[in-house]
Amino acid sequence: MNDQMTHQQVDELAGAFALGAMDAAEEAAVRAHLTTCDQPHLEVYEALGAGSALAASLDPVGPSPALRDRLMQTIERIPQGDRPEVPSRPPARRGWLDWLSPRVARPMALAAVVALLAVGVWNVNLQSELGRRDAALRAVANAIAGGEAAFRVDGNAGHGYVVETPGEGAALVVADLAKLPADKLYELWLIDAGGTPVAVGTFTKTSGAVAVVTVERDLTGYATFAVTVEAERLAAPSSSDLVMVGALE
Amino acid sequence: MTDTPALHDDGLLAQRIRSGDRVALGEVYDRHASVALAVALRIVADREQAEDLVHDAFVATWQKIDRFDPARGSLRSWIVTIVRNRAIDRLRGTRSSIEIGEADERSLLKSGPNPTWDGAVARLGAEQLRAALAELPEAQREAIELAYFGGRTYREIATLTGVPLGTATGRLRLALARLRELLRQSDAAPISVSRGDDR
Repeated sequence: MNDQMTHQQVDELAGAFALGAMDAAEEAAVRAHLTTCDQPHLEVYEALGAGSALAASLDPVGPSPALRDRLMQTIERIPQGDRPEVPSRPPARRGWLDWLSPRVARPMALAAVVALLAVGVWNVNLQSELGRRDAALRAVANAIAGGEAAFRVDGNAGHGYVVETPGEGAALVVADLAKLPADKLYELWLIDAGGTPVAVGTFTKTSGAVAVVTVERDLTGYATFAVTVEAERLAAPSSSDLVMVGALE
Repeated sequence: MTDTPALHDDGLLAQRIRSGDRVALGEVYDRHASVALAVALRIVADREQAEDLVHDAFVATWQKIDRFDPARGSLRSWIVTIVRNRAIDRLRGTRSSIEIGEADERSLLKSGPNPTWDGAVARLGAEQLRAALAELPEAQREAIELAYFGGRTYREIATLTGVPLGTATGRLRLALARLRELLRQSDAAPISVSRGDDR
């Protein structure tokens, strides 16, 4: 489905959106529409939260006593804010990752995006894209204001940021995308410190405008973000060149 | 019973957890673990895996409590969403993705928690909520259960049930609208529960 949704399409997907019954790209498209739309979309908003009622329709199941003990022992070892199950991120790796770019500091990230928008480098060429452009900027600004990360990604296919916003997960905000052949798609990857890539989404945007693509996992535990061009969604990258990359550190 | 005290308590408990109070996390666990386990067990159908998911969800609650906003929904709903998403990911063989999906959706809302859903959860028992679900047409009930407990997208639901995409989205949409109306009406008139009726 195209990531530019009409009001009617969004309303028709009210139930699916509220229950998370759509793929990541569609969900991002609905969210992007709602973020910038001036229509009430009451049915969508009224459906949100339905999951809590479905969960409460189940009879509670008492956990084993050992589970509570195990939990309390676990959190005894875990200071808040730390993520001890995730190894600290190592220096940039070589080989498959030898294109790594240095981290862009958060203030620089915001300034860079503002500058890019100001000079039109992001090629927002449709009125309907203005809202998405603003949403993208806001996402970066929110990420910075929330103390979270914004990481620059660059490559032959375009440039942008991977942002992780408190409460809103991670997303790739990218502009100037190279046009894809009809039988190809962009595939997103997170790569851990050991160099193991994990597929975290696909998209097929082919215009030059700004795209906001949901990353299907949070960034914790990963050192690198990358984009390849594939013929179909893969579980492991093919030998395709990396068309966009960035270091998550 | 109203949801106001629960939401108020949630806010206080979240504050205590945020300040590093492990006892508060224990209180939250005692309050919500059985619902979280019911959801996890329903999805993965394996007690050991379900308890692992609940454990991980509460560890996530401890670590990420700063992402919880009581103005956007209850702590119970937040925790259940975390465990539900993790369970779905386990079912699909993937790691946890967006752990606070519902909070994410709610972040779009300009107002506070949805009073119909949150109020029904606070006011009604599981049996009454199942009675409301039983009022839905079979196909609609099946659709929302495939979506929420099965982690199926509407496209998958359409394929599984052999209907066009528009029918699948329509069933989800109509089911939630009807369920919401039933629960809203129950605020004035209690839902009658038929013995032996089940989901």
